[in-house]
Amino acid sequence: MTPAKTQERVYCPVCQAKFRLAEGWKEGDIVICPICGQKLKLEKSPDGWTGSRPEKGTEKEIRDRVDEYARIKGYVFNDMKEELLQGLLGKVRRFGDFYCPCRMEHVPEYMCPCKPTRGGDVEKDGKCYCGLFWKKA
Amino acid sequence: MAEKPKVYALSTCPYCKRTRRFLDDHEIAYDCIEVDLLDDSKQDEVLDEIEKLTGRRSFPVVIIGKEIIVGHDETKLRKALKL
Repeated sequence: MTPAKTQERVYCPVCQAKFRLAEGWKEGDIVICPICGQKLKLEKSPDGWTGSRPEKGTEKEIRDRVDEYARIKGYVFNDMKEELLQGLLGKVRRFGDFYCPCRMEHVPEYMCPCKPTRGGDVEKDGKCYCGLFWKKA
Repeated sequence: MAEKPKVYALSTCPYCKRTRRFLDDHEIAYDCIEVDLLDDSKQDEVLDEIEKLTGRRSFPVVIIGKEIIVGHDETKLRKALKL
């Protein structure tokens, strides 16, 4: 039987999903969300474990997130990366968070990497909606 | 004189920027609407118009006469503009 400790989960405020709390992790640790690549600071509340965003809204946050996500998934970038990152920075300035630069809707599921991307669009289409993440040739 | 091309764009979309840069580089006068910067009611109106024209909400949309080009496509732009 799995020990109760490993069944605990951490809520990620970026992808709004939960992932398993690894053994040995403690409050204040910096971890990477294995689903979206976000850097999170572990916090425990009466409702359970959650991650806060230590560099929320900064250029470093989004650069680290997209690089981590690409590393986790084995995806690559092309020469549009910098322009798309500028678009993401425009989104955070004008609309409050890193929503897909090529979409109109400013809703949580379109925070980069967006839900369709996390759902397999890159595997299916070879790239994500805006062309930031690409399947390795 | 033919009507000026019309571009529907998002202020954060790099492909929209490339389309605008292409038109600027070729000294083509055009009207541009940055849809994401419109106020809500105007935005709804424009999005309905775009969906009617293209069947989706994808950017940029360029209208040159009767031609409707969705996405940044220099080949199609050249053809429609007879460059």
